[in-house]
Amino acid sequence: MVQIVYTPISDETIRLLAVGDMIKITGYIYTGRDAVLPKIVSLIERDQIKDTKINLQGSVIFHTAVSPAGVGPTSSNKLEIESSIPILSKAGVKLHLGKGAISERTVKELQHYNSVYAVMPPVTALLKNQTNSVELIAFPELGMEAFYTLNVFEYPAIIAAAHGKSIYHG
Amino acid sequence: MMNQVVIDKVKEALITASSGFREDQKEAYRRAIEQEGHLQSCWVLKTLLENALVAQSRKSPLCDDTGIPHLFLEIGKNNVLTGDLLENIKEGVREGLKCLPGRPMAIKGNTCERLDQSGGLDDDPQALQPAPVLIKSIDEDILRLHVLMLGGGPAIRGKTYRVFHRHNVNVVIDEIVAWSKDAVAQLGCTPCTLAVGIGRTQFEATSMMIESMVYGNYGVQSELENEITRKVNESNVGALGLGGNVSVLATFLNVGPQRASGVRIVCLRPCCCVEPRRACVIL
Repeated sequence: MVQIVYTPISDETIRLLAVGDMIKITGYIYTGRDAVLPKIVSLIERDQIKDTKINLQGSVIFHTAVSPAGVGPTSSNKLEIESSIPILSKAGVKLHLGKGAISERTVKELQHYNSVYAVMPPVTALLKNQTNSVELIAFPELGMEAFYTLNVFEYPAIIAAAHGKSIYHG
Repeated sequence: MMNQVVIDKVKEALITASSGFREDQKEAYRRAIEQEGHLQSCWVLKTLLENALVAQSRKSPLCDDTGIPHLFLEIGKNNVLTGDLLENIKEGVREGLKCLPGRPMAIKGNTCERLDQSGGLDDDPQALQPAPVLIKSIDEDILRLHVLMLGGGPAIRGKTYRVFHRHNVNVVIDEIVAWSKDAVAQLGCTPCTLAVGIGRTQFEATSMMIESMVYGNYGVQSELENEITRKVNESNVGALGLGGNVSVLATFLNVGPQRASGVRIVCLRPCCCVEPRRACVIL
């Protein structure tokens, strides 16, 4: 059965998700990858995120570029992306959406902050119809790697890590 | 001198390569869907095939990482490649990237700025330079261009290195299988197609690997190719790493000339689930 997950996501919703669950995400989500996520982390560490219009509570971060070619997951295990997951989770991000195996350490960090990791196939052509709007939020100088918010309808994903378990580590 | 016919042909080839599966590729997915017993992985395979059909009907990108254009040119004995023709081919690539549209991911700046990306990105998809052109002579009396679009994920997981073969083909195959298992587990975008070139130098092995993507056919697999595919599939990585018995759809193996030596240079590219994105056109 496919579960519909609406954003912002509550702690209770996360508690009910398990590895292998098929979900569809609807609502506003953020996007970020290698270039911008370390900058968002830096804003959090310097306590400057509150001075922006970014609200990470209950949020989703989709590891993707945003360009005229569309959107699609990039590898979440790239250094700058995976290393952002713990601090973003601590700051309120509930679901990290990307692709590829993440480390056991990251799985444990996700558990600690009651956050989950989900994967989606690179189905850019299908996602085009499921993306209602795109808005640039921060760091425009990064071009396609800037921080955006998307309004999405039923983005398909599968929970790959939750509550200390993952599809990668048994 | 501008040759609009050539430019248009190259442009269309780039769009075709980027926006659909070939028939043998679709058939490989259909076989994989039949074979895959893992519920979630089977859903991924079906969704990927559906995505390809939608992309093909709209002529839109299969994946947002539209890739770096790689060109492979076959030249018959009586055909001539001029600098002018090469410029028209490059213009066709630029127009293809504009029309697709390609992802604007050319990095601006000097040596250091291009390395650390501090010079920023060019907003124009056409600014993306194609990789150096590979040229091969053929017996046919034509000039045929193959356009390949190579994404970043497989480039991260690919490997080119030496293998001490110990005068035993199984040693080389086992090493390819070991590399592939690591690469496929980390790739994320599985099911993958393994493109493998074996040559005397790093350049030759990489050229052989590119050629394997140009000529590889999912419906025509050698014993060695089947053996590699079967052994890597035993790792049960599955689609998107979710588990299951289809991690690899096929292997495209291309063995070139070899050196009198105990060493073989092997180049492996674990092509992601939308690759090899390729199309060809007779110019």
